[in-house]
Amino acid sequence: MSSPNLDVYMPIVILMAFGVVAVVGALLFGRLLRPSNPNTLKESPYECGEEPIGSAWSNFNVRFYVVSLIFIIFDVEGALMFPVAAVFKKFNEIGEGAVLLGSLLLFILVLVLGIIYCWRKGDLDWVKSFKLTDEQIKQLNGIEES
Amino acid sequence: MNSTIVSYLSQFEGHKKFISILSEALGFDATYLVAFLVFFLASFIVVNVMALVGGLGTYAERKISADIQMRQGPNRVGPYGLLQFLADGVKMITKEDIIPRNADKLLFTIAPLMALVGVFGSLAVVPFSSGFILTDLNVGVFYLIGVSSLVGVAIFLGGYSSNSKWSMLGGMRGASQIISYEVPVTLSILAIVILAGGLSFSTLVEAQGGMPHQWYILHNPFTFIGFFVFFIGALAETNRAPFDLPEAESELVSGYHTEYTGMRFGFFALAEYIEVFVVCGVAAAAFLGGYKVPFDLGTGDLLVNTLHLPPIIGRNIGQILQVGSFVTKTLVLYYIVIWIRWTFPRLRVDHLMTLCWKYLTPIALFNLVGCAVWLYAFDGQSVWELLSHLGGASSGGH
Amino acid sequence: MFDNILFILSASLTVVGAFSVVLTKNLMHSCVYLLAALFGTAGLYATLGADFLAATQLVVYVGGVVILMLFAVMLTGGDQDKENKFGITKVPSMGNFKTFLAGGVSALVIALVVLRLIANVAKQNPQGELPEFTSSVVAIGTKLVTDHVLAFEISSVLLLGALVGAAVIARPAKRGE
Repeated sequence: MSSPNLDVYMPIVILMAFGVVAVVGALLFGRLLRPSNPNTLKESPYECGEEPIGSAWSNFNVRFYVVSLIFIIFDVEGALMFPVAAVFKKFNEIGEGAVLLGSLLLFILVLVLGIIYCWRKGDLDWVKSFKLTDEQIKQLNGIEES
Repeated sequence: MNSTIVSYLSQFEGHKKFISILSEALGFDATYLVAFLVFFLASFIVVNVMALVGGLGTYAERKISADIQMRQGPNRVGPYGLLQFLADGVKMITKEDIIPRNADKLLFTIAPLMALVGVFGSLAVVPFSSGFILTDLNVGVFYLIGVSSLVGVAIFLGGYSSNSKWSMLGGMRGASQIISYEVPVTLSILAIVILAGGLSFSTLVEAQGGMPHQWYILHNPFTFIGFFVFFIGALAETNRAPFDLPEAESELVSGYHTEYTGMRFGFFALAEYIEVFVVCGVAAAAFLGGYKVPFDLGTGDLLVNTLHLPPIIGRNIGQILQVGSFVTKTLVLYYIVIWIRWTFPRLRVDHLMTLCWKYLTPIALFNLVGCAVWLYAFDGQSVWELLSHLGGASSGGH
Repeated sequence: MFDNILFILSASLTVVGAFSVVLTKNLMHSCVYLLAALFGTAGLYATLGADFLAATQLVVYVGGVVILMLFAVMLTGGDQDKENKFGITKVPSMGNFKTFLAGGVSALVIALVVLRLIANVAKQNPQGELPEFTSSVVAIGTKLVTDHVLAFEISSVLLLGALVGAAVIARPAKRGE
């Protein structure tokens, strides 16, 4: 019995360590070279010369949240499909491709149903269009006329 | 299975001899130490070459844009201005380090680090040649998708932590754009995985051949479309124009790195340029035959047989040819990326999202289904193989 | 040797990250610490030889769930100390006696349950060597389309439900209705 060979992860750890060392090292090294004369104006956020009003940490538009929710669903679908896709060729070689193709197509079909639903309901639109009632149109026309 | 650069080297006699000598000298089994040293050196080389590629990328970007706009471009520092990126590096490192007063200092510091760590982590699985791949994980492609998504988080955090309205808008857009375009990219890679039958990069590349008609881009109509879906998605994931909305300089000043100065900004820029190289490399490996050299020159057998070279030299020449093939394909794609940037105008946010969710994702799904059906119907043969069968059958009928 | 290094690195990343999540008072910071903890968990999976699971952890959690959480925090107003237009500054104060009591009791109950589970598993499977390092991708793929094909298909229905539910919940309420 041999324990799992984990050496394959060694380059990943080394590379990530290089990343950390590069950032920390360059910032520490730069400290020796660079000037440091902070003042209030320098440290204020850039707003094209205007005095910044309020904090930038305001509420998000909800559509960013919707996009990330839909993305996670697709992400999980991808994670489920990857191993199946990886064995497809092997199954096809031993003549069992039909079963796998069927289950994969069924899986994708259900996924497509979800997209169609979101599409029809307008969740994939970034700019939401909406129908005005006749009364609202009349009101709008009234505003224009007056 | 999981082959690494160490397992490639260990087939040579010199490697074993070196280990045995070192073991005797140190008094313990040095296999481990040597493996670590090899990995360390190889990673060091890769990181430095990539930093050079990133630096020269900024130079190439300026030179090519100058070419397109009929300007000179950088031409003062070094021959043809080649050392411009070094001058820029010196400038950045001596710039004052400003952290805005109201910024979230912890996240402001972590964000560039996270971007660089994510990009460096993805370098581990880039297949430069059949031997020189730092680690050929079984889950290579999937790992790359996962680890490069750290950059998206980094861009969001960079935008958030600055506490500037421009940065915040850029960060929000960046994160939502990156995660959206990950969907078509993943799906088009999935189509290739179905054809190749494995997730590791060596499986993807070895399933292709050296000549263009053996590449996956020309394998069947679905992969041909899939390549373009992948490439557009990869452009958007690396925030390259025409998808550079997170840093749209004409509307958001400089986007998520508006408040970053000096080297902190430099790391974001470096991460971006290296990431472009990595995604171009993935496109080359998955669709353009990767490190494969025509006429099987890459294995070195032909050289050994015809020129009667010693096998070691033949193999290593083959490896160098493979690296050359991979880097050439990647750099051609790199050039196209820059070319696109200076040719197309920027997209609008709503067009961006429409393109992703209403065009690329359905097309990518269609390609996925198409590739699956193709593999089942034609046993994974390419169009050319089918055509030659047809030709053979008809000529046999005569 | 590297097995131990990898384990120590990822375990410490997980534990430190998880503690920081609960100890910090800044919501954004705790999201980032959660990212560290999830990243460490991926490393732990890798230590156990479950390479596909580790990659999935990276793709789904690090790339997806953390961004979703960051967006959710921003949706409800980024910084609790600053005022925002929904008036969420009035969050019930954490850290009084009641919250500590509730947290402590639930932690105790969960710990007991987990311990019982681990004890059972440990009794049935005496400690031994890990299985040979082969590709877990092929194993998972084969299982998914042979023994567990029903689960594979039903999971797609589950995801469809999640997609529809997410779309419905996140849809802004129509005006004038």
